[in-house]
Amino acid sequence: MTLATPTTDPPVLVADQLAKTFAAGSGNGALVAAVQGVSFSVAAGEMVAIMGASGSGKSTILHMLGGITRPTSGRVLLEGVDLAALDDDRLAVIRRRRIGFIFQRYNLLPELSLVENVALPLVLDGRPERECRERALEAIAAVGLGPRAEHRPDALSGGEQQRGAIARGLVTRPAVVLADEPTGALDSANARAVIRLLTRLVADRGLTVVLVTHDPLIAATANRAIRIVDGLIAGPDGESPLP
Amino acid sequence: MTELTLLLRQWQRRPGRALATVASIAVAIGAIVATWIASDASRVGYRALAESIEGMPSVDVVARAGGRSDPSLAPKLVGIPGVRAAVPLVFRPSLLRAGDARVRDSAVGLDAAGLVEAGLLRLTAGRGCEGPDEIVLSQRLADSLDRSVGEEVLFFAKRGVRRLTIAGVAEPQSLVSFADGAGIALDLAALTDLAGTGGLVDRIRLVLHDDASRASVVAAANARLPGNLVAQVPPGRASMADEMLAGANLGLDFVTALTVAMAWFIVGNAMLMNVTERRRSFALQRVVGASGRQIARSVMAEAGMLGLVGALLGIVGGLVAADPIARNIATFLRSSAIAITVNPWLILAALVLGPLVAIAAAWWPARQAARVDLLEGLANVPPPASGVPHALMLVAGGLWCLAFGILAAAGAGWLPARAAVPAGIATLLAFIATTPATLGLLARLLAGLIPRRLGIERGIALEQVLRQPVRTALTTGVLVAAIGNGVGLGHVIRDSVDDILGWYSRALNADWILMQAGSLAVQGDASPSAGQGIMDGVQRIEGVEAAVPLSIVMGSLDGHACLLVARDLPTSGRLPLNAVGMSNETLRRVLEDGGVAIGTALARQAQRGVGDEITLAAFGRTLRLPIGAVVRDYMAGGSSVFLTRTTARRLLGIDSVDAVLITATPGAAAAIEQPLAAIAREHSLLLQSHREMRAMMDRITTGLVGALWSILGLGFVVGSLGVANTVAMNVLEKRRTIGLLRAVGMTGRQVSRLVLIESLLIGGIGSLIGVGAGIVTALFIQLSSQALLGHPLAMSIRPTVIAANVAAAMLITAVAAWLPAHRAVGLDLLDAIAAE
Repeated sequence: MTLATPTTDPPVLVADQLAKTFAAGSGNGALVAAVQGVSFSVAAGEMVAIMGASGSGKSTILHMLGGITRPTSGRVLLEGVDLAALDDDRLAVIRRRRIGFIFQRYNLLPELSLVENVALPLVLDGRPERECRERALEAIAAVGLGPRAEHRPDALSGGEQQRGAIARGLVTRPAVVLADEPTGALDSANARAVIRLLTRLVADRGLTVVLVTHDPLIAATANRAIRIVDGLIAGPDGESPLP
Repeated sequence: MTELTLLLRQWQRRPGRALATVASIAVAIGAIVATWIASDASRVGYRALAESIEGMPSVDVVARAGGRSDPSLAPKLVGIPGVRAAVPLVFRPSLLRAGDARVRDSAVGLDAAGLVEAGLLRLTAGRGCEGPDEIVLSQRLADSLDRSVGEEVLFFAKRGVRRLTIAGVAEPQSLVSFADGAGIALDLAALTDLAGTGGLVDRIRLVLHDDASRASVVAAANARLPGNLVAQVPPGRASMADEMLAGANLGLDFVTALTVAMAWFIVGNAMLMNVTERRRSFALQRVVGASGRQIARSVMAEAGMLGLVGALLGIVGGLVAADPIARNIATFLRSSAIAITVNPWLILAALVLGPLVAIAAAWWPARQAARVDLLEGLANVPPPASGVPHALMLVAGGLWCLAFGILAAAGAGWLPARAAVPAGIATLLAFIATTPATLGLLARLLAGLIPRRLGIERGIALEQVLRQPVRTALTTGVLVAAIGNGVGLGHVIRDSVDDILGWYSRALNADWILMQAGSLAVQGDASPSAGQGIMDGVQRIEGVEAAVPLSIVMGSLDGHACLLVARDLPTSGRLPLNAVGMSNETLRRVLEDGGVAIGTALARQAQRGVGDEITLAAFGRTLRLPIGAVVRDYMAGGSSVFLTRTTARRLLGIDSVDAVLITATPGAAAAIEQPLAAIAREHSLLLQSHREMRAMMDRITTGLVGALWSILGLGFVVGSLGVANTVAMNVLEKRRTIGLLRAVGMTGRQVSRLVLIESLLIGGIGSLIGVGAGIVTALFIQLSSQALLGHPLAMSIRPTVIAANVAAAMLITAVAAWLPAHRAVGLDLLDAIAAE
């Protein structure tokens, strides 16, 4: 096993021989290996890009890192805790407290206002209502959407919704933020703004981000990039050089 | 707070979905409330019907060896649980004269004023008689004498003549409870004085509460009575109505319990649909940290809230629906309008039941919501096809064991006949729980009946039905419950009615029946010479082909009160009795050789069978003799002992004539009415025609059948909602497929056909399983009826009952498909294709 880390501090996130197979869907019992033994680690305050073509397995890796799906084999260690060993309820607690998610399609609940959406992880954690609101407003202000806090998602532009989703990802002060093609649904101007926001948060707040993208320009904004080809990390050392 | 906000906003955003769920719960709770109220109304109607035939439910306290008893015992008997009142009674034949009109009738002495005050005696005019100079007449008698309140009549009794003032006129159906056919009521003290009984009475009638058990009151009374008195069910009344009432109660209990089960399925379906539509929302909440438990809890909380709202609406709807149903029942029972009584506890129970049923029904959907695959949920793809859960099959096995266990326990007498209700419900649930395992076979079988030219529609519909076997089972569950109910109870009702009508046509096959108007003899004070006089008079009438005298006296068998019926057997043709496990020839030989046959209920009560030695007591004589046969009978609820008149005369000295069955020569039935009426007047007998008796039987049976069908119809209406729900949910899931098919050229008509075929497949599966469940349920209830009647009812398969239920189910499913089909045709193509 080769774990590459840029610093000597203990890594926040470790992927250890992660593998995932799916049923082929043909109904004949055949299996497809989406991810085949991927190992890497992410240090605190680092922004890592996972790159690859469509179908390469990069999103599957991100889902395993976030505990959305369980690996067929291998381990995910978040702050030393093996996610695969947790039951569903404990995994949910980890997701709500230590992981922030940002999706390509924003995934804000249309029924709730922006501030309510952002506060949701805190509410689910049983925090007092006042604290939930204050911290949500603070996160919203951090992404520059303060005046739009009471709007519902359908009243926000795509870029604003994605910034709102970033605020939701930040609100619990997570150990790591996982972003799956966060600019995939945005025009280039909004995409640049979102990336600038993420890099600023990494620089200013020491945020740890793992970012999935197929865009080399976005990957270039990260501290380093891991290239995935056919479910495997490309390159002899498990990491590819920055473009 | 945000969780509640989210919920409220979701309702606000998709009001149709929330309203559909609330509507489902409202319909389910409304059905329960309406069924409950209508069942209560039916019970009131049945009770009124039974009272009109045989008076209020009662138990009589009489002297063991004839004679009279002291009325001062009455207050001591009122304390027995189930006893509403203790009424001392004395009966005397009398002659009444008003102007030139003379009427022979029986008079009853009772505390009329007290009974009127207690609501036990209802008057159409005036008040109860209070002194020795007052009299109350039945409406029928007052009409025939052309006398009303305040006018005078002459009363002829053993100790002289009295001029009495009519104080009140009684409803005939009300007076029958105490007068046993008499039309005259006097103050108790006045009649005991006129009759010279020394203040003693003929009997003390214990009027029971509607829900009281006669058997337990008899047992409690006998424990308190001195040795010379005995409490027993009043004999001399065929308790067909009582038996039918017990059967009807069983049916109503079953229908009410089944409605609750149906409500569970309907709400479960609605919640499942609701949850399926929100898979993406649940997945998203899970991704940002909601645990499965939190999601499940929120679904349950939502169900509870919707349940409360639905219950409130359902209560209102149920109250509104109950009124026409009760009116319909009143029409069937040909009784006056049945007042709907709304028990406050029912409202409270419905308010609690609404959220409870909704929460219980939401358990499975909540579980599904908690287990939403996060990636599939986020991508908003339909849930994948699922198999048959092993746990469900274990539940099905458990339900089968439970149903058969209860049945076996009821059959062994460890559980009461009412155990048929939980056994029947368990059977239905077992059938429904087993549905996922049989679904593939049944669906493919039915799909084979669909024309080949509809291949695409058939294929997609079949795939959709089989995709989620548990969900399809939930839907078919509503139909299985409705059809199982209809087929099961339909069979039981028809078989019960046939059994009773069969008995009637055997035992009371005559054009005219002359019978004693007053109470029956405990001791032979109806003299043989009087009986011979009646028989001679009847046989002298031209046009009388046969006159069969019956002696009917009270007695006891091993201490159990019974009715002794002595009658001669016809020399040829059908016997008036139907033996259990014995041919007609053998039964005839047994009775002609001096043996006795006992009714099935009595045999069960005394735990005696053919060949067992019994102690029979009547007319002050006690003898030991073996049981020759056990016969199916409804006289005195089957607590009857039959013997020939020769045997009765030889063994017990019984030679009275208490009833005469008269058959006219062909075409002469009408002609003999007048001479028979003259004999009836002369001997204070009641004359009833076969037509009247038959009309009474028909009134009972039509009332029973009609009332139950009214309630069952409600089940079908409710069932349609469940089917509409599931088909709508399937359309929702199949949006992308339907969108793609439409994009490549499928017409709206074809889409409608697809939805209709799916609906009909569900209807067909529900029908097949429902018919099976219904027949097994009927079998269960009929086997349990052995405990009620003492003999099992003959089970028969009735194609008309089955066909009517299946036709109703298929019609309902076709109608239920309309809205989902409309929705499918109206799907926005781009929207549908983008669904994933």
